[in-house]
Amino acid sequence: MRLSLFATLTTTALTATLFAAPVFAATPEAVAQTYVDMAAAGYGDSLTTAQALQKAVAALIASPSDVTLAAAKTAWLAARVPYQQTEAFRFGNSIVDDWEGKVNAWPLDEGLIDYVDASYGQSDENPLSSLNIIATPKFTLSGAEIDASALTSDFISGTLHEVDGIEANVASGYHAIEFLLWGQDLNGTGPGAGARAASDYAQGAACTNGNCDRRAAYLQAATDLLVSDLGYMADQWTSGEARETILKDPNAALSAILTGMGSLSYGELAGERMRLGVMLNDPEEEHDCFSDNTHNSHYYDGLGIRNVYTGSYTRVDGSVISGPSMSDLVASADAAVDAQLRGELDASVAALAAVKTAAEGGMAYDQMLAPGNAKGEALIMGAVDALVTQTASINRAVTALGAAGVAIEGSDSLDNPGAVFQ
Amino acid sequence: MLKPLAVLLCLATPALADFPEAVTQHILPGYARFAQASQNLADAATRSCDVADLRPAYQAAFDAWMGVQHLRFGPVEQGGLGLAIAYWPDPKGSGSRAQMALLTGDAAQLDPAMFAKQSIAARGLFALERLLYPAGNLPADPCPLTRATTTDLARVAGEVNDAWVTAYADTMLTAGEAGNTTYLTRPEARQVLFTQLVTSLEFTDDSRLGRPLGSFTTPRPERAEALASGRPLRNIILSLQAQKALALALTPDAPQTIAAFDHALGLAETLDDPELAGVAMPESRLKVEILQQAIEALRIVVLSELGPELDVGIGFNAADGD
Repeated sequence: MRLSLFATLTTTALTATLFAAPVFAATPEAVAQTYVDMAAAGYGDSLTTAQALQKAVAALIASPSDVTLAAAKTAWLAARVPYQQTEAFRFGNSIVDDWEGKVNAWPLDEGLIDYVDASYGQSDENPLSSLNIIATPKFTLSGAEIDASALTSDFISGTLHEVDGIEANVASGYHAIEFLLWGQDLNGTGPGAGARAASDYAQGAACTNGNCDRRAAYLQAATDLLVSDLGYMADQWTSGEARETILKDPNAALSAILTGMGSLSYGELAGERMRLGVMLNDPEEEHDCFSDNTHNSHYYDGLGIRNVYTGSYTRVDGSVISGPSMSDLVASADAAVDAQLRGELDASVAALAAVKTAAEGGMAYDQMLAPGNAKGEALIMGAVDALVTQTASINRAVTALGAAGVAIEGSDSLDNPGAVFQ
Repeated sequence: MLKPLAVLLCLATPALADFPEAVTQHILPGYARFAQASQNLADAATRSCDVADLRPAYQAAFDAWMGVQHLRFGPVEQGGLGLAIAYWPDPKGSGSRAQMALLTGDAAQLDPAMFAKQSIAARGLFALERLLYPAGNLPADPCPLTRATTTDLARVAGEVNDAWVTAYADTMLTAGEAGNTTYLTRPEARQVLFTQLVTSLEFTDDSRLGRPLGSFTTPRPERAEALASGRPLRNIILSLQAQKALALALTPDAPQTIAAFDHALGLAETLDDPELAGVAMPESRLKVEILQQAIEALRIVVLSELGPELDVGIGFNAADGD
């Protein structure tokens, strides 16, 4: 999770030329202001849509039916739209990156949480991968007995999440809730998503798969926890430390914007979440693997990357937050780099939209991962290539700003090697 | 009279180390060696399926891979060829599962064209390790799968080498020239190599050492890289040697970097714990931790000395993200 580091490139001749050029259309201060306002709006929207999910989950638990289950799923899908767009804020801001695992950790060994199919198997690397906490009020960890009789938010966040120091033990966040709403997708690379029945939440004799009371308690607690975690992050950007850190040092904002864009584009989205799945032909390697919503999650990630560059975010209510942008700043330093990067960001959003369109047309993301599905592979790899291409230009934007005399900050380890030993 | 002449000579002598030297003296020979070693392994497998006959050629191919595995850009990034050579770590055990299906499944899947489409986790050096150093009895005769895997590895290694020789070396060597859309400037070529160096040191730290170290209360010696073939420490040493060679090819003026490499290599070579099994015992664990700290310190020196020397910072890379 180390952030990318940048050194300032100093090209004296170029700097001199640029300082003679007209005043910047955008200042780092103004770009930083747009950035924190967009973050506040994005996490604010993530919070309100999660609150809507919380209500829908309460309705499902109060009265489990196909209708209330479908409504909860719809609310979950809607909550993903703003949240995925905030992922562009993650890698540039340690406050976000340190927190992110609580809400969007992936991939997960879902057998930790609830019942799974016999084909699931036991992970060699995770002794608790099939613990099924919903059916297990007590378990032993490293010789100590753990009391899991009350499945509360505190238990989930304080004890179960990443239990045994294993990242695949994801107990909280969107994907844990997704599993509890959809269940395992047992269709492999064939059509179909998870098909959990509403009766998994029925109380009394109608309960299917046992422990419906504990399943309901877990789902409600995990959803409450998501709301509380998103509330924390929304506060961070309306008046908290994340906002202050950026505003008190606008150059830090420039570094955060470009680091967030580049790290999400290449290492995380193109590499970890997209290309690896194609290479493994593994339907488990899709980001929203229970709901088959991966095409949307990737699309809104791509949109979020473009948002922070162009300084414009369309909220869930349709209103727009916009202002002086990184794009303006880069254009002042090197118009060609800005034009190329804007074109490449449009191309990656278009390539991700093609994946989304194909999925909505009946070829779900996991079907694209099937061995021999040349069309699916081409769709995914088209988006991967576009994301990799734009990353090179994000690097060039760093260089262009550095050359224009805007200091892009490195991390402690680069600027002050001694600091890492303190 | 002598002094100006000396200055003149210095100016007239082109730098003998820069990214073109890294390409011609480090990268191209490295991929050629790996392609040859992989072909030798495939040839050996056509003659015999006895693991005792194949293991030396396997070890030689892995050694050759360690000479270039720190380079995660260019042809190995295209079509996932690098992952098809070496997929590790494999936290979900995907490779083992996919191989079991191939061992007991339709033999047509082992046909070269079909095998090339299999999951990367079922291919490459780590898949071969499970066949040549099996943990238990395999459910079927592994010979056909061993041959398919070695043939595929040789093909992939050959493709990567050919791509470098026929195209990508030129892409790098013409960095900054008109028409080169990959490297718009010469510093971009320098930066990509510098980035490989830093991120591969991070990989050794986090994965080759970090995975077996686990935590003090829960060490995970079973998670060491290439444990079954006895290579955990050897891979670290060979990796450091290759990284040092890359640094030397890039510049003659990074003495602290070279000293830090030599320090880490000295610690690794005297560790006397080839499988890193010592992570499970406090005293021997300390020695592995000291090596990890030395490599972390080395990475910092590379960032603070070599980066400014090459006038580049680290760029985005495949290791960004989780």
